[in-house]
Amino acid sequence: MLDLSVIVNNFAFLVVQGLLGLGGFTGGTLRLAIPAIVLGFVLGIFIGIARLARAWWISLPATLYVEFFRGVPLVMVIFWIWFIIPQLLRRPIPEYGVALTAFVVFEAAYFGEIVRAGIQSVPRGQVEAATALGLTRAQSMRFVVLPQAIRNMVPSLVTQMIVLFKDTSLASIIGYVDLTKAAQIVNNREIRPFELYLFIAVVYFVFTYSMSRIAARFERRLA
Amino acid sequence: MRRMLAVLSILGLALPIAAPALAQQGTLEKIGQSGVLTIGTRTASPPFAFVNKQNEWVGFSIDLVEQAVKPAIERKLGKPITIEKKESTPPTRIPLLSSNAVDLIAGTMTDTRARRESVDFSLTFFVTGAQFLVKKNSPIRGIESIAGRRVAAQQGSTNAKLIRERMPTARLQEFPDQPAAFQALAQGQVDAYTNDGIQLYGLRAKAPRPDDWKVVGDFFSYEPYGMAMRKNDSDFRHAVNVGLMEAIESGKYFELYDKWFGPNGETPYPLTPENKRFLIMQVVPK
Amino acid sequence: MHYDFHWQVLWSGQSGRWLLQGLGTTLAISSLAWLLAVGLGILSGALRTVPWKALRAVAAFYVEFFRNVPLLVWMFFWYFGVPPLLPEAAREWLFDHGAEFWAGMFALGVYHGARMSEVIRSGIQSIPKTQFEAAVAMGLTTFQAYRLVILPIALRLIVPPATSESLNLLKNSSVALTISVAELTFQTRQIETYTARAIEALTAGTVIYLVLCVGIATIMARVERRFAIPGLIARGG
Repeated sequence: MLDLSVIVNNFAFLVVQGLLGLGGFTGGTLRLAIPAIVLGFVLGIFIGIARLARAWWISLPATLYVEFFRGVPLVMVIFWIWFIIPQLLRRPIPEYGVALTAFVVFEAAYFGEIVRAGIQSVPRGQVEAATALGLTRAQSMRFVVLPQAIRNMVPSLVTQMIVLFKDTSLASIIGYVDLTKAAQIVNNREIRPFELYLFIAVVYFVFTYSMSRIAARFERRLA
Repeated sequence: MRRMLAVLSILGLALPIAAPALAQQGTLEKIGQSGVLTIGTRTASPPFAFVNKQNEWVGFSIDLVEQAVKPAIERKLGKPITIEKKESTPPTRIPLLSSNAVDLIAGTMTDTRARRESVDFSLTFFVTGAQFLVKKNSPIRGIESIAGRRVAAQQGSTNAKLIRERMPTARLQEFPDQPAAFQALAQGQVDAYTNDGIQLYGLRAKAPRPDDWKVVGDFFSYEPYGMAMRKNDSDFRHAVNVGLMEAIESGKYFELYDKWFGPNGETPYPLTPENKRFLIMQVVPK
Repeated sequence: MHYDFHWQVLWSGQSGRWLLQGLGTTLAISSLAWLLAVGLGILSGALRTVPWKALRAVAAFYVEFFRNVPLLVWMFFWYFGVPPLLPEAAREWLFDHGAEFWAGMFALGVYHGARMSEVIRSGIQSIPKTQFEAAVAMGLTTFQAYRLVILPIALRLIVPPATSESLNLLKNSSVALTISVAELTFQTRQIETYTARAIEALTAGTVIYLVLCVGIATIMARVERRFAIPGLIARGG
């Protein structure tokens, strides 16, 4: 009943093209996920800090940014970037760029919230002590608050990274040949959806579950 | 810290405004500079553009670009160029062109008056019409018999719009692309899949058991395929047309036609004398 | 940038009707999936905290597997992978009655059930164990203790993260367009293909989602305040 030969025959295409992105098509889940996580997190740090700024003209745009991206579906954001940005810039944007931009911009809002919560979870006493010791606001942020905040943030950060990794599957909607699209391409020829989609479900699971296990160990060591 | 943030945010606002407004370049110039002709084409529309068993991206439209259009452009520019392929689907074709993501759509795009408002077309390089793909023992015979039946189509295609207009009682289900729509037919989620006849023949030929399927119905639309490009770019359009004309004149076109549609091709689809004459008469004198 | 705005396409012709239809479908599929998700979430969230290892393991497997796989894969799996396994009669009936809607609903509900389960589990685990012990000391069975004491408290505690997850469900309903469910994002694409007015169409869809999300979040904040048990939750003051 379960015909696993379709997996075996197409394993190379699914994993090498779909997962790693090496091959005749623009694609690769990892090629998209890793930069998206890094850049999304970096942008998220700026946004998280900006939300806590005292100047309203910094914190208000940051708040609007977060509220906006948390109120719309990622699919919608992908379509926006796909259709509109190339028209605005009058330059072609490859679908890798479209997908990467969409993910970074969208996930940064969520990373920003995690950063903000992490910073706010550092007891006020710490900030006061730093000021008492003569550190400027920037210095106390850099040497006292952020290190402690990062330790608090780690669990939520990893959860969000896992979410982003799964979200990369949506890049297949605009033709990016990630693992999901690779399975679709094979399925259209072989018509074995149960085996193929179950296989990529397992591949995704292996990655995300490992990520969460590593995070749990990391968390215990930091505690 | 505050000052730093202030400067950064002002820069952030200023950059998009300061971004140089690129003058609308002619496509030939653009290709000449980059050395790349980017085409938008399909990944699952055999035999025009699809992924074969060796997971290579091939097809009749792709061959036409590489062997007919490319030499003409290279001759015009006086230098070699490479072809880059991107996937395009009915909903995304025109936006991809107008946003400069691709220079030429070479797949299965029907030349229509409405579309000519947004893009320009090359010569017609293939003639077909909309039909239905159904299971072998289906009672569906054509557009009259799909009332109330479940029909799959691709979102944004001319076929979907025609069904909506002519047979509103048909239960139309629109998918983002052909693989999903064909999948729905293969598993019975829908009773019929509508697309241009030749594409249906192509899908059928590629199916695990081609004899399980049949293509039915008179053409309920006339679908001349052309290659689409940005409007008001006559130099590029001329170069593409010259490429196609020379291929028809020299017989290269018919060689490629035979490769994909001949008796030993992917999808046998004999060229009717009428259509052959039409193609030849598009070649204007030198 | 040169762009002629034609906002009237949104309410003239079919666009307005399509948007409303899309909105209706989005709300329908989301509400049904939400009920499924909450049901599965409460069941598996609670099961992960009971004393019997086997039940805990089953619930843990459900949660870990289903929430670690992307929703898009589940959509394809439920719509394409599952129907062939059903008996012919059931399959025919399903295809004739909006299979894509139900497949999308199940994919959405089962996926978010796994995520909701984590929210509920953490809510249950944050209740002091003494509550449970007191309930048992008063003669309640485990099941009764959960139903009458633990869950009512847990559900109130988790209103903020549960609201957040519920909104995620609403937004994730957009993924169903890949299996031809004519929900709101699908309709914005539809408008764009018929009118070529991408910005207007996308703006309409975006505004509707924003209104829905901000609206629901505001309502739930009010609900939380109203149902809060005084003194149980340390309010920020």
